[in-house]
Amino acid sequence: MASTGTRRRWSKRLATILALGLVAAACGGGGGDSGGSGGSAGNEGTPQMGGTLKYGLEAETADGWCLPEAQLAISGIMVARTIYDTLTRPDASGKYQPWLAQSVTPSADNKVWTIKLRSGIKFHDGSDLTAEVVKNNLDAYRGAYPARKPLLFVFTFSNIAKVDVVDPLTVQVTMKQPWAAFDAYLYGSGRVGMMAQSQLDDKKHCADKLVGTGPFKMKEWVPNQKFVADKNPDYWAKDAEGRQLPYLDQVEYDPIVEVDQRVNALESGDIQAMHTSDPSTIADLRNTAKSGDIDLTESTDFGEVTYTMLNSSKPPFDNIKARQALAYAFNFDDYNQVRGKGILTQASGPFAPGNVGNLDDKQTGFPQYDPDKAKQLVKEYEDETGKQLKFSFSTVQAATTIADAQFFKDQAEKVGMKVDITTIDQSSLIDTAIQGNFQAVGWRNHPGGDPDEQYVWWESTSPVNFGRIKDPEIDKLLNEGRTSTDQSKRTTIYEDLNKRFGAEVWNLWNYYTPWSVATTKNVHGVLGEGPTSAKPFPGLAVGNPVMYMWIDK
Amino acid sequence: MSLGMLARRVAHLLVVLFCVTLFVALLTSMLPGDPVDAISGFASQEQKDQLREDLGLNDPVPVQYVHWLGKFVRGDLGNYYSVTGSRPVMDRVKDALPVSLQLMIYAQVLALVIAIPLGVMTAYRAGSRFDRGSNATAFGLLAIPNFALALILAYYVGVRAGWLPVQGYVKPSQDLPEHLRRMALPTISLAVAQVAVYMRLLRSDMIATLQEDFITMAKAKGISPRRVLWRHALRPSSLTLLTVAGLNVGALIGGAVIVEVIFSLPGIGTLLFQAINARQYVALQSLVAIVAVGYVLVNFFVDILYAVLDPRIRHARS
Repeated sequence: MASTGTRRRWSKRLATILALGLVAAACGGGGGDSGGSGGSAGNEGTPQMGGTLKYGLEAETADGWCLPEAQLAISGIMVARTIYDTLTRPDASGKYQPWLAQSVTPSADNKVWTIKLRSGIKFHDGSDLTAEVVKNNLDAYRGAYPARKPLLFVFTFSNIAKVDVVDPLTVQVTMKQPWAAFDAYLYGSGRVGMMAQSQLDDKKHCADKLVGTGPFKMKEWVPNQKFVADKNPDYWAKDAEGRQLPYLDQVEYDPIVEVDQRVNALESGDIQAMHTSDPSTIADLRNTAKSGDIDLTESTDFGEVTYTMLNSSKPPFDNIKARQALAYAFNFDDYNQVRGKGILTQASGPFAPGNVGNLDDKQTGFPQYDPDKAKQLVKEYEDETGKQLKFSFSTVQAATTIADAQFFKDQAEKVGMKVDITTIDQSSLIDTAIQGNFQAVGWRNHPGGDPDEQYVWWESTSPVNFGRIKDPEIDKLLNEGRTSTDQSKRTTIYEDLNKRFGAEVWNLWNYYTPWSVATTKNVHGVLGEGPTSAKPFPGLAVGNPVMYMWIDK
Repeated sequence: MSLGMLARRVAHLLVVLFCVTLFVALLTSMLPGDPVDAISGFASQEQKDQLREDLGLNDPVPVQYVHWLGKFVRGDLGNYYSVTGSRPVMDRVKDALPVSLQLMIYAQVLALVIAIPLGVMTAYRAGSRFDRGSNATAFGLLAIPNFALALILAYYVGVRAGWLPVQGYVKPSQDLPEHLRRMALPTISLAVAQVAVYMRLLRSDMIATLQEDFITMAKAKGISPRRVLWRHALRPSSLTLLTVAGLNVGALIGGAVIVEVIFSLPGIGTLLFQAINARQYVALQSLVAIVAVGYVLVNFFVDILYAVLDPRIRHARS
């Protein structure tokens, strides 16, 4: 099944493999990437039942899936969504609809949320889905369940005051302050699945004995080799046409960290599906898809944004002129051609296409490339402070990110700045950010859903506000967005927030991270369906729902 | 080999292992960054303090080493640590070690099976077109790094020709033919450079051996050239080959790390790769120690084999 794309690809492999030991994941972001919400492929036809799908993942989830404690990137989320159901999930427009819950209803002031569960649903171990189990799960996520020790979820669910069981199928969640987007947090980018009580209380095997209510039951996990799950014959959900889900008999996830080998495995038929966000690979896969050898589903909708995070608590980026100068110095078109293979979509703000608050480049007011303005601002900065505008750009030790950093350095130095590149270990990246030991750092974050999900990253008192943004206007807008009950007003609020980011240049936005799922020609249903209709949620940043995937016999 | 000799060799082996593991402990302690920060990400200070305690990082490096060594010799390889718990390294090693051993044994066997006949034949026909062609090919193969060869094979043999799978592992007990198919490309990737080395070495030694008096004597007795080559010349020519084959276990292990990652084989190389990336120091130390033990043991057995192959050594030692 060789094609133009594959033929081109192998010549760059030797360079790629030299960076093999430096594979970067999750935050800190990969190389350059690309553009536009691409098309969905292979969704046509009537789903056929049966078969085993082998899906190549970009990484192993070494710490397992004890969900409140897990730190899942896209590969881990793919597995989690296979085994677990979330109480809500997004529809085609990104609005959150009940899924495992029958209804999720806020009080008039958004301070009390009532979650009514579907009846008759059983976990894979035969136990019932009850309000008590859901309460225990929610308590575990927010750090109020003794058996579990969550990490980041403690921050994200810190607005919950208490969780009460109203009746066997009803849970009531009371907030400290009104919370309009709580239903989005119940999805949590696919991470907030409901675990069975047995897994929740399992001190030894919570991470590797997965028990959910999802479309597939865990069969076997051989770390670094495969995660196999069998069809859950008693799954509660049907598709929009009334057909029983899932369609497949079995799904096997194979972690193949080297992206070219993932493509090789797909093209040789070892696997039938794979994902990637690497722009160079996506460009090659597009060629392969054009030649008719594979299908490719692409999306930047509701995706992450790749950007340079600036530390606004220390010089030089505590000065807006330095931030603006850097933004004006950045020539995205050059970057896209040189680093992004011409397939990237420039980001003008933190909200990807599809998200509430997304605006085009001109509307956000984010500075566009203008080297003369950049030089002028550098001069003003130096006149004002009496110091040269110099900074250190931190990046993880991966060939792609170092090349990105070199590109930024060249552009910044062209307008008179002085830039040093500091490489840090991928595993130290989060801590570097937490401790604020950086001036500028390559970053990737803020996948879609409701913009309120970004609250913890920007609110001025949050311990994970890595950029040290202390902006009363941002705080005000974040709190208004969180508490407002009026959706159109919320849209305006987040658009204002986007513009505030553009005006103050708190971060240097680069591009919306594209994700692609490539499949063999006989595999269909990548995007699947939405929770309430056949129209699917178009984002791929947190994986795709494998329960809708099917294979032509 | 006498018991006294064996005891001395074992004592030597233990000293080597002690030095290697101590060196690894010192190296890992000198790696930049705090492993607690690297492992714990978003953890609270309290959780980080607990993790530091679990990892034994509050103790001086020599104390950490003694604690680790005490556990290691009892078969406790320590744990993978996270803020929320720990998992025994042994659990992963039990599954991974056979994979790496299989890969290295297959690679070594394949290399020797190809190299020995080639080495013998090129020595016998030294200076011929066959010899020159084989030598040129050997130099070419030596020049290709195994990871580059792995990618080239994966593309041409796996993708374009579709002859062999390019990733994944199947246990031999599950499906032996499929196991061999999946191990084929990684094995070839590792073996090719070894073929070149072994062939060249054996050829040189064989050429020297073939000029010895006892070979002339054998020929004078009318023994067939085949028998002279395989029965009389090969054995005394194998000592260097054997030494290098033992030493090459280190190169195979190094190659296996990257080849396992390329072909998604869940072996020790993959575990090492992950332990380094995740700053799992205890796991890293144990994994490196396992590799070192394997390396030293193989060379220990090579030493013993010398005596088996060459009676002169056996008699000299006794």
